[in-house]
Order: sequence, then structure tokens, then C-alpha cells
Amino acid sequence: MNALPDRYASDELVLREPGDGRTLAQRLSKRYAARITGAFVVPGRDGSFAPLPDDLPTALAQALRSRGIEQLYSHQADAWVATQSGAHVAIVTPTASGKSLCYTLPVITAAMTQHAKALYLFPTKALAQDQVAELLELNQAGDLGVKAFTFDGDTPGDARQAIRLHGDIVVSNPDMLHQAILPHHTKWAQFFENLRYVVIDEVHTYRGVFGSHVANVIRRLKRVCAFYGVTPQFILCSATIGNPKEHAEALIEDAVTAITESGAPTGDKHVLLWNPPVVNPDLGLRASARSQTNRIARLAIKSGMKTLVFAQSRTMVEVLTKYLKDVFDSDPRKPARIRAYRGGYLPKERRAAEREMRAGTIDGIVSTSALELGVDIGSLDVVVLNGYPGSVAATWQRFGRAGRRQQSALGVMVASSDPLDQYLVRHPEFFQGATPEHARIQPDQPLILLDHIRCAAFELPFIGDEMFGTDVATPWLDVLGEEGVLHREGDRWEWIADSYPAITVSLRSVADGNFVVVDRTNGRQTIIAEVDYSAAPVTLYEGAIHMIQSVPYQVERLDWEGRKAYVTRTHVDYYTDAIDYTKLKVLDCFDTSNAGCGQAHHGEVHVVRRVPGYKKIRFYSHENIGFGPVNLPDQELHTTAVWWQLAQLVLDAAFEQRQQALDGFLGAAYALHIVATVAVMAEARDLQKSVGSGDGAWFVSADVAGRGQIRGTDGQPVALAADAPFTPTVYLYDAFPGGIGQSEPLFSRREDLVAQSVTLIERCDCRGGCPGCVGPVLAADENAATTPKALALRVLALLVAL
Amino acid sequence: MLSVGPRAPSSDRMVPGIEIAPGLFLTEAIMEWGHPPAMIDTTFARWNEPVAHNRLLHFDTETTGLAGGTGTRAWMIGTADWLADGRFRLRQLTTTTMGAETDMLRNFARWLRPDTVLVSYNGKCYDSPLLKTRYRLARLPEPLTGLGHLDLLHPVRRHWKGSWENCRLATAERELLGVVREDDLPGSEAPAAWLSYLRGGSAVNLRRVMVHNSQDLKSVAGVLLHLAGLPS
Repeated sequence: MNALPDRYASDELVLREPGDGRTLAQRLSKRYAARITGAFVVPGRDGSFAPLPDDLPTALAQALRSRGIEQLYSHQADAWVATQSGAHVAIVTPTASGKSLCYTLPVITAAMTQHAKALYLFPTKALAQDQVAELLELNQAGDLGVKAFTFDGDTPGDARQAIRLHGDIVVSNPDMLHQAILPHHTKWAQFFENLRYVVIDEVHTYRGVFGSHVANVIRRLKRVCAFYGVTPQFILCSATIGNPKEHAEALIEDAVTAITESGAPTGDKHVLLWNPPVVNPDLGLRASARSQTNRIARLAIKSGMKTLVFAQSRTMVEVLTKYLKDVFDSDPRKPARIRAYRGGYLPKERRAAEREMRAGTIDGIVSTSALELGVDIGSLDVVVLNGYPGSVAATWQRFGRAGRRQQSALGVMVASSDPLDQYLVRHPEFFQGATPEHARIQPDQPLILLDHIRCAAFELPFIGDEMFGTDVATPWLDVLGEEGVLHREGDRWEWIADSYPAITVSLRSVADGNFVVVDRTNGRQTIIAEVDYSAAPVTLYEGAIHMIQSVPYQVERLDWEGRKAYVTRTHVDYYTDAIDYTKLKVLDCFDTSNAGCGQAHHGEVHVVRRVPGYKKIRFYSHENIGFGPVNLPDQELHTTAVWWQLAQLVLDAAFEQRQQALDGFLGAAYALHIVATVAVMAEARDLQKSVGSGDGAWFVSADVAGRGQIRGTDGQPVALAADAPFTPTVYLYDAFPGGIGQSEPLFSRREDLVAQSVTLIERCDCRGGCPGCVGPVLAADENAATTPKALALRVLALLVAL
Repeated sequence: MLSVGPRAPSSDRMVPGIEIAPGLFLTEAIMEWGHPPAMIDTTFARWNEPVAHNRLLHFDTETTGLAGGTGTRAWMIGTADWLADGRFRLRQLTTTTMGAETDMLRNFARWLRPDTVLVSYNGKCYDSPLLKTRYRLARLPEPLTGLGHLDLLHPVRRHWKGSWENCRLATAERELLGVVREDDLPGSEAPAAWLSYLRGGSAVNLRRVMVHNSQDLKSVAGVLLHLAGLPS
């Protein structure tokens, strides 16, 4: 343990004068140059202001002034003009730039002058509660008489009726709209009849499967509104993403006026990308992100800077909080300087933390993504990310928490050993130049669409060739008629089943039912987690170590039909990794193009996934310490994919042995998967990879040593006859039935993906391959020409555009 | 899950009553039942004033299920009232098409006067909100709000919860009125009976539901008189 010299060393760096982000960034860069892989500055900006609009009701203007708001930022004034012109508006400005005033002004004005109602949708309950608190304060300040309520799962039954009748502003979430409001819209008739504004905040969180569901809930909302004769105006807010206007328009399927110029002043922002030092070069092992994060935070707080640390899990929040409290809160008689903030705390506790942060009595706060969204905690000087949050957009949202008007701020991203983190920290240009990811939705994904047409038919009958979204619903109504839930009479399709479809459709997960994880430790029966159907076979097999907040549980029994996994708390020094064999068959090729000496394709595939067993892998050293069998039904999936192929002639010329080509393809698939996951802002589990024969005759999986093993269609190892056709293929496929639209953008970026994969592998510090580039390999591989790393590069080189 | 299956058209499609609008059948029967006093004591419901017997309208719907929300509909409304001469009148509106619902709702609204007092068994939580939803969906004025409503489930619970196995209407009618039903189609099968008819099936069970609904209404009226006659 070298804690002492280390602490001494970092104490040297403590700023004795009141510091700013720039000075701290400079000192860190000097002392830890080897760990800093990227450093850049986002220049600050002067504020741009506008007077309070003349057409604002006097009482509202008065209330704003009494709250210290004498003028607006230019984007708030722009939003006012746009909403008053009747346009749908999307406001895209950084964190803490006063977005909520953009919708508060038109909504309160309409409530005061026309008794118009507004519906607010936030992705989380906490944000909804914050919003109501803010509205109530403003309302009180000016005695405006506007009533705002939250309406969520916690709203007591007896309060609901009053909210439906008397709420001017109802603040809810998409799940409640979907399951409670729309299927009971007649109870909300008065509300809908007067509905003027629909405010949807944090729309960047509505992407992928969740976003596709939400877009359909909005279709249903518009349909119900039409029944009550209203066409509400939408006001959407988003953090910075690559395509805010398109995304807003995709969500509401209407033209949107986008306001993207923030008028809020900011100071310079210094950004450092930080890779923990290598401690074992053979295995490519690095010091933990946690130790580095702790060190940076400690230094910042000692330098008198308000610091926010983002951790990836609730447990890590607690660990880091403890480490910081050990240093700064050792005297229990003094008020605490360090606070933790995460979901799972009581709202009261969270409010107290927010208040103390705003008041400036707290010096350090450690949080999960809970603080990434718009919770108001005032200004901060330093933000430290313990691990990459999964997207460039989320990284900037978190960094956005640091920044004051006059003073420079600092953001540090500390990479963990996760391949994605390692990829990003080694590509500083990715951050610096990158436009944030595009948010994508696919509202017409067949399974999702059918679910929502089902819900919509329950809410109001479909009549004639009615449109749902961009297409007529009729073919889907026929399906539901066949199923017996709809009955057709003349040109009307009416709901006839004794069921409530919204309850079986969850916006936040995929089809086929989630698995619940039941903890039976010491005779308990507690549900401790939910796992998506698609992830269940690779995470909940019997014998699996299932980690929850980094606490290991062992799966003792899996009730596949009942969708339950029974686990007990365990203490082991290993984790488990499912061996899954994926077999793909191409059904239809939509598009083909040349890729170097080979070809890239995009199309429809049939995927069969089997999990025959699992590996036990020791923590830290990642050695393989055993196997276990798994007995589960095959998973079949019809979806879309992008794939790369090299002809047999090309491969025979480039590789002495077929085995080497296979190893190369496995490594290339691993790298392509990492790069592609970043490219489409996907959750890693929503995009999967596979290597197999182009004709579906065999597929390849990694054996114990990380080497390619050919398996036949039955999953058993086979040897290829020397004259058998040999066209290994790497597939990246959408792990959602029917596909969720990831493969098309991947196909259009195919050249970029291959090029980036090459860079990823070339720049990796490891020798023969590691989890950061081509996947884990045994350390023993010394022949440099045939390491998995070298072989993967050879395959990719053949695919690089000529 | 409902299964559609092969639809074998049935030859027995006879629905009793007069077809007063396309797909809407009205049955009406007048009988001796209950011999109500002119004024019904309502202290059992903690009301202050007694109610003249001819202001009461007992009602009970048959629906497509219990799921709730906008997707559940009433396909039949049964009502019962005492005429001025004390005779008991049962009227049922039965739809045989979905499109007939609007006419059913209009007819039922005509049977309500501003001083009508509704009588039901669990109607406050079930039948009444369901009908209000249907009026709203049919874009018709909703006639129920504002009417007095004696829901007998609650006073029955207050009196006999704990001493009976449950407080369902079937239990109340057996315990209080000695009613024993023969060949009764349970209410839970009403949705299937209608659905099957709608899809071209036999009317046999539809008619059994109508009988069941009549008995329910007679029992509601009987339980009402029993409650009104309890010593206060």
C-alpha cells in the first residue's frame, strides 16, 4: 500500500489560493501527464439577455421579479415568441440554463388568461416533484391561482379525482400517461377538453426501445385529444444531442421550431480524460477508476472547489462517499461537508441535499445519474466522472453540472477498465470533435406498434381507414380481430376483450415478459431485480453469479416458464460469463457494398442463440477457473443485421491456417462491436455480435484460450474438411425482435466502423489482446505475428476501404 | 385469452322483446313484487328523508368484463321500478350489435327524471362510472351525475360483514329473502354469452343472462325493502 506517499504527493497540488478550474487542470496535467490522455477547453460565453416580454400577465411578471428574475436569457425570450406564435417548440440548451422557464411562462400565462390546462411529462418522479415545487413557489410569489399537481403511482386514490378536475398543470410521466391516464381518458374529459400545452422534458432520454414506445404513447395522446376536439401545442426540452430537432419531430410527428442558442452565460470549461496507470502490462490491468476518482475529488475539495462526483452504481456512490467523508467529515461535531445523492433515498433527504448544495454548505456530493437530469443544485466548480456514462451526450450533461458565470470549471472523466471506457479515453478526439450521438427511435417497429395499436383500440374505436402514426392501422386491426380482442362492425373496430392491454405493455422493456430475481437468502422472499427477457439466458442460468450493485448473488434455480430466478447472497471471488453460441441465417439482403477486398451487407437475419454453459472468471486477474453446464431452450429471433464477409480466395492468400482467420474474425467482431455500440448510442446488450459461416453452416465461438472454435448447427465442435467452403462472416445484429433500427445507420457508417476498429486495436497498450480491444486472451501468447490482436488487424485490414 | 375459433352460425338467434331501434331490444314485464310502502325509509343509508317508492329506479348492467377503463362496455341495462299503484315493472334494454349502444344509452336516459333515485348493488363503484364513460364516448349528455344513488352493498356490509361468508348479492338474497336460483348463469359468464352471440353464436345463454339480470333486479329491490324495514 503506498497510500502515504500518494497523499503527500497530491497534497502538494492543493491550491492555496481560491482556485478555479483552469489552475487545477494545469496542476493535474503537470503532475499526472502520463495519465491524461486528452485535455481541452470549451470556451465560455457571455450571457445574452432580453427584457421580460410585454405581453406577459402583470401578476406573472411581478412574481418573476419578486423571485429575482428581472430579465430573461435570450433562449427563454425566443421560446416565448415561438410558443405565442402557436408553433411546437423544442428547446435544446445545456444543463442549468433555465430551460423550465421556457415552458413555465406560456403555460402559466395560458392558465391565468384562458383557464387552459397543461400536461407535463418527465422521465422520473423526482423531476416531476421538483417541477411542481418550483411551480408552487412561483405561484405563491405572485398569488397567481394556478394549481399544479404531480400525478404518478404514488398519488393517493382520493386525490386523483381532485387532480383530474382542478389541476391546471398535471405533472406526470410517460408510463402513467400510458397505463393510467389514456385508458381512463373519459375521467379526464374536462382536462383534455381544455388541454393547451403538452410539455415533454428531457426528451433525449426517450430513445431506442423506450423512445419508440413513448412516440407511440404520444400518438395515442394526440388521438385522444382529437376526440375531445383539441390539438395541444408541444413544448419539448432536450439536453444536447446530435439531432435534437429531428428527434423532437420524430417523437411528436410534427414540425418543430428548434431553439438551440443558449443565452445563459458560462465560464471556460476545462476537460481532462484520465486513464488510471497500468499496473500489470501483461494482462493490461490498470489501477481502479475508484482510487483515481477519489484522489482527484479530494484534491479539488481541498482546493476549496465545490465538487460533484458521478458514480455508475448506488454502491459506488456509497463507497466513494465513505472515502471522502473519512477525509473531510472526521469531526462529527462539524456540519457534514460531503453528501451522497442517489435514487433509493427518501425525497425529503434528497431535497435537503439539494438545498444544502444550492446554499453552498456542502463541498462535495457523490451521485448516480440521478443528478444528470435537471435537478437544481446550484453552481459547481469540478465534476469528476468515475467511469464513462455510456454516451458522449451523457458525458457532456454531467460535465454541464460544472460551471459558473465568471469562473472556469473543470470536468474529469476517469476511465474504468470497461472496454468502452478504454476505447473512449484513448480517443480524446472523439470527445473534442464529436457531435453528440443521435437519438433514434423506431415507432413503427412492428411489435411495439402492435402493442400500442392494441392500447389505442381500447381507448377509442378505430373507424374506417384511420391513420395511426404515419400509416393506416387497418392491417394491424385485422391481426387484433383474428386474435379476438377487437370486433368489427361496419367500418368500426371496437375493443371486445375483458382485458386492460396497457398493463401488459411496459414502456421500458421489451416483449416476452421480464424475469424477476428473487432473493431467498436466509429464508427471505424479496424481489431484488428485474431482468429483460433477452438478457435472462445469459445472466440468470443456474450457477450464474448475478451482480446487483456489485454485490454477488448466485442463481440457484431458474423457473423459465414462471420468469423467476431464485438467488442467494454469496461471497465468491469470481464472476460468471455465459458461453453463448449464436447461429445466424441471412433471410434477406437489403443492401450490399464493397468493403476492401470483401463485402459489407445489411439485411434481415434469423438468429438462434444457445447457452450451453458458462465460465467462471476470477476478479481482477480474469483467469478462467472453471465451467458449468446450462440447460435452457434456444432463443430464436428474427431481426436485422449488418455483416462483413471475405471471400475464401482472399483469406487463403492472407492466412496460412484457417484457424488464424477464425481468430482474426473473432477479434475483429469484438472490436467492431465496441465501436458500433458507441456509434449508435446503443445499450451494449441491444446490439450483439456473432461470427459464423456466410451460409449458416457453422459458427465460431471463443474457446478457453480465447481462440476460435468452429461449431456445427447442433453446437458441437466440428472440424472443417480441407475442401469445405470457408467464408467466415462477422455479424452485428439488433437484439430486439424485428430490429430497432440500429443496423441501417451501422451499414451507412460501415467504412468508419472498420477504420475505427483498426485504430482501437492499434492504439491498445496490451501485447496480444485484452478486454479493451479484441477480447480477453491468455497471457502466454508470445508470437507477435499471430497474436489475436495481430490476426484481428489482418482481417480488418482486408476490410478497410480501398 | 379469448379465442375466436371457427364461427359456427347458430340457428337459435332469438332475442326476446321488441326491437325498438336497430339491434336494440326492449323487454318489459309488470308483476307484483315487494309491496313497498309509499315512502321508503332511508335511514339505513344515513339519509335524512324517506323517498317515495315511485322515485326509485333499480338498475344493473351486464358488461363485457371487469377490466375497467374505456375498453369495457355495457351491452345491457336492466331497470326496475314500482309504478304508482305499487306494481313492479322490469325493463331491460339489450343490444345485439355494438352500434346499438348509443340508442340504448339514449333510452335509458329517458327513463331518468331529475328526482330519480338510483338503487343498485355496487353501482357506485361499477355500473355508474362505467355508464358515465360510455355516455362520454358516445358523445351524449351524461344523465347520472347529480341523481341520488342508494348503493346497497355498503349498508349490507355494515350490517352483515363477518357474519356471512361474503356480502355478494347472491348471499344477501339467500340470507335475507330466501331466494334460491335454479339453472342460473353466473354473472361472470355474461361477457362470453354476449360475445358468442355477437359472433353469430346461439342466443341461449344471452336469454339466460336476461333471466339472471331480472332476478338480480328483483333481489336488489327485495334487499332494499328489507334494509328499509330494519329497526333504526
